[in-house]
Amino acid sequence: MHELGIAEEILGIVLAEAERNQAKKVSAIRLRVGVVRAIEPEQLSFIFDHIARKTLAEGAALEIEEVPVRVVCAACGEMESRSFAWECPKCKGYEISVQGGDALEIVSVDIEV
Amino acid sequence: METTDKMRVDVERSIQQSVEDISETIRALLAERGIFALNLISSPGSGKTTLIEALLSRYEGKGTVAVIEGDLETEIDADRIRKHGVNVLQINTRSGCHIQPIQLLNALRRMDLSDTRLLIVENVGNLVCPAEVPLGEDKRIVLLSVTEGDEKPLKYPLIFQTSDVLIITKTDLLPYVKFDMDRVRRAARIANPRIEIFELSAVTGEGVPAFLDRIESFGDAKRPRP
Repeated sequence: MHELGIAEEILGIVLAEAERNQAKKVSAIRLRVGVVRAIEPEQLSFIFDHIARKTLAEGAALEIEEVPVRVVCAACGEMESRSFAWECPKCKGYEISVQGGDALEIVSVDIEV
Repeated sequence: METTDKMRVDVERSIQQSVEDISETIRALLAERGIFALNLISSPGSGKTTLIEALLSRYEGKGTVAVIEGDLETEIDADRIRKHGVNVLQINTRSGCHIQPIQLLNALRRMDLSDTRLLIVENVGNLVCPAEVPLGEDKRIVLLSVTEGDEKPLKYPLIFQTSDVLIITKTDLLPYVKFDMDRVRRAARIANPRIEIFELSAVTGEGVPAFLDRIESFGDAKRPRP
């Protein structure tokens, strides 16, 4: 349930932005979330809907862009993966490094003013 | 008549900005006092408290170590550590699955840190949430006991990506469990090529001195207070 803490952080940032722009309503929130963050989009949306009730962000849609990890294999080159890997998805070799996939960002907020 | 316009506000900021800001405040507080800080993270029951006790046996009587224990409930761990005669404070997070930076900052402000050179923070037993939350530590240490199995780096990559040190604990139990040491070492290095790996058993003492030496050298490397 670590999605609760993250949902609370998102709501805090979104409401501050809404207030700063004198919004009447927040309609959508775009997020960038890396796959290694272990965040379940449905769970996050469910919790966010709940805590955003009776705020300017009530009913706002969370649009979550999942960011894959980059697997760099000595033999096969670079590729994306939707999960962490400890062998190359192609050649099954161990000469790899796994990078990125740890984004946790608010990209933009759609508001009505 | 009132009109409604739609607009998109570019935000482009970390969701954890407020957490990161408080973590920086802790880092500054520790730097000012010349305190070296460790953040110990693992599943419940991997041997964090036992390892801290081993660490304290080397520092005993020096009065320079402070320990902060994070647990959902109880003072059990703090009581264990207190027996070693060091400055210890328990944070009960109740429903919180990790120590929040603000809880650590408030705890540090309550403690007398005038003689402290080494701060050990034992986080709540959990491999997910503590990985996401920086506490202003100098070194993040993840513990993995051999009884937990060798697939943890694959299941919980973030903690292995963000830790400076991996300690594989309970190695005296290796003959009784299925645990591929090479597989774990390889996966941890794939997640983080710079991670330092130690294997030890706090029961037999095997591997413990090498780890303690390393901790001492970390602490010495931090700039002494002016």
